[in-house]
Amino acid sequence: MTKQHPAWSPYDNNGGTCVAIAGADYCVTAADTRMSTGYSILSRDYSKIIKLADKCVMASSGFQADVKALQKLLAARHLIYQHQHNKQMSCPAMGQLLSNTLYYKRFFPYYSFNVLGGLDNEGKGCVYTYDAVGSYERVGYSSQGSGSTLIMPFLDNQLKSPSPLLLPAQDAVTPLSEAEAVDLVKTCFASATERDIYTGDKLEIVVLNKDGIHREYMELRKD
Amino acid sequence: MPILLLPSTNFKFFPPKLKCVDMKLDTSGLESTSPFFGSGDELCPELSAAPSFSLPLSTDFDEFQKDTKATLKHAKGTTTLAFIFKEGVMVAADSRASMGGYISSQSVKKIIEINPYMLGTMAGGAADCQFWHRNLGIKCRLHELANKRRISVTGASKLLANILYSYRGMGLSVGTMIAGWDETGPGLYYVDSEGGRLKGTRFSVGSGSPYAYGVLDSGYKFDMSVEEAAELARRAIYHATFRDAASGGVASVYYVGPNGWKKLSGDDVGELHYHYYPVTPSTVEQEMAEVAGA
Amino acid sequence: MESIQAKQGLVGPNDPIQRTQLPYVTGTSVVALKYKDGILMAADMGGSYGSTIRYKSVERIKPIGKHSLLGASGEISDFQELLRNLDELILYDNMWDDGNSLGPKELHSYLTRVMYNRRNKFDPLWNSLVLGGVKNGQKYLGMVSMIGVNFEDSHVATGFGNHLARPILRDEWHENLSYEDGVKLLEKCMRVLLYRDRSAVNKLQIAKITEEGTTISQPYALKTFWGFTAFQNPTAGAEGSW
Repeated sequence: MTKQHPAWSPYDNNGGTCVAIAGADYCVTAADTRMSTGYSILSRDYSKIIKLADKCVMASSGFQADVKALQKLLAARHLIYQHQHNKQMSCPAMGQLLSNTLYYKRFFPYYSFNVLGGLDNEGKGCVYTYDAVGSYERVGYSSQGSGSTLIMPFLDNQLKSPSPLLLPAQDAVTPLSEAEAVDLVKTCFASATERDIYTGDKLEIVVLNKDGIHREYMELRKD
Repeated sequence: MPILLLPSTNFKFFPPKLKCVDMKLDTSGLESTSPFFGSGDELCPELSAAPSFSLPLSTDFDEFQKDTKATLKHAKGTTTLAFIFKEGVMVAADSRASMGGYISSQSVKKIIEINPYMLGTMAGGAADCQFWHRNLGIKCRLHELANKRRISVTGASKLLANILYSYRGMGLSVGTMIAGWDETGPGLYYVDSEGGRLKGTRFSVGSGSPYAYGVLDSGYKFDMSVEEAAELARRAIYHATFRDAASGGVASVYYVGPNGWKKLSGDDVGELHYHYYPVTPSTVEQEMAEVAGA
Repeated sequence: MESIQAKQGLVGPNDPIQRTQLPYVTGTSVVALKYKDGILMAADMGGSYGSTIRYKSVERIKPIGKHSLLGASGEISDFQELLRNLDELILYDNMWDDGNSLGPKELHSYLTRVMYNRRNKFDPLWNSLVLGGVKNGQKYLGMVSMIGVNFEDSHVATGFGNHLARPILRDEWHENLSYEDGVKLLEKCMRVLLYRDRSAVNKLQIAKITEEGTTISQPYALKTFWGFTAFQNPTAGAEGSW
């Protein structure tokens, strides 16, 4: 037998699930607040959602330290943008910035799975979904993280919006009202928590609309 | 004793002003002439200068790439095709992205609009294709501004091939076709991350390509109308999505002619199936009846 | 002359600097919690050399500046190097003489960056750090792992403590713990760890930090009882096991 010695990995999976749904004039972004490593829970109250700009929030799961580095970098880039342009970055611009930021770490990736939720220049809800190295797509709704494989098919079933690639084109925004979307998100997480060990404890929901931004919370199973 | 060897000169992960990695304190802030509000570059080079790729300081870069590839499971699985015919170039693709057995998206835009006269197709790593096509778009626009004329398809494909070749062996995964119309007429090139670049009149790339080739090769004629060519492309994509589990979603068809590209169709392949194989009501030959005395 | 490999971030045979990538002398769990007036932190004084408990008087809790306490598990030498650097940091911060000082929040943030940047260089500090403190009436308690994972909580524990102590803390901790109850709770956690963590030794320190300042206790031992039937006959009831 070879001698055992402690090994380390530069990555860890701290779990967590994120969801974002775009509506005609709102955007709902949500994530649970559990942070885990292996079978241990590190914290039951860790927020995965940050506000990047007035009309743009990001929910991230994956490796917490990478997520934090990414958040700090985007915040710094946004501050420079504000100084140079004297305005807030738009959500589509932030979407492209996030993609490039992720890709510049192509050979030593940020192990983070992000959804960007916000309002576009016309005030319509917009959701961008990413892989860890920066490929991205604007969609009507999306889920990322450990519970995404449980939630995504459910959202497809409930919301299935026509593909943006169809010709003649059809509008891809979700037909739900804001309150219905918030309820749907709550249902998603209550269900994912039942079957995903990395999702639970508490749900944080951030709603963006023409009146601004507000957060609400719902308790989830803690086992 | 397993010991990792690391180089003494490191790549910069963080700019000197924020550096705490080598555990030396930054005391420049104590000097009265601290250039804190100098140019953006001095403040934080990583933030304002053109970013460069950060590399892992791993002893075994290849092994590290394999590990990250295994953990990140980049989106893969595709059918794309393009061919030159009498009227120009026809380009078509499916829209599925899968990570192992899981379909991560059914709405990927695999035909990338580089500029109004040129298209790129996407197979392999989604991020690699998206990023380098966008990068190519920038380079093509700069060429246009410098030379007062659009870049040739030959030139554009070579720009991309050269970039990809410079990253050869580092784990990029790109299989693309550059299709467009330039001063010499229609152009079509296949370019991949292994450094390959081929000129041709008919290509299909991706896991579904054998199926697409089957339809394409049997139906291809140079003398086709735009309508005939579009139908051939759509049918080839449809049949590939039918037989290849890693392809699916929407079959998009683009045409590039003398006046630039135009999207001709986008059809859900689930619905296309009933277009190619209409359900015919079969006549009932025998009615079921209760068995007496059972 | 720099080799081409070094330029690409790869390592060639001629590249000079070598670093060890294994922990040598390590400390085990640190447990800490918020209580009514501040933060309480506990750690034993064992220093393990592999599975040998080589040292028995290692101080693993240290005050940093006026407002913070730092506890560490993992490689002792890395912790001690970190302490030297933090001392320098505090000294230089003090030289500004502007009445400002680094609080626990700032130090935690700083440590987070140190740990994460070292992991980015593939040369991590082999520690899990616990940072607690009080400044301007604000209690602060956080943790950083060797690869930079970090968070705040009302109670934290590193290593085995996360498995054995935190369930007890989740059960019994509340916002208004008195000093006496806090110490009792920590001792309960440390006793469980002593029973079940083979690297733990029965010589520990408990540190307290409040608005008034820091006090770290003299080393002392816990009262133990090894007469539990489960200890005397550990395989009873474990049918089918060795």
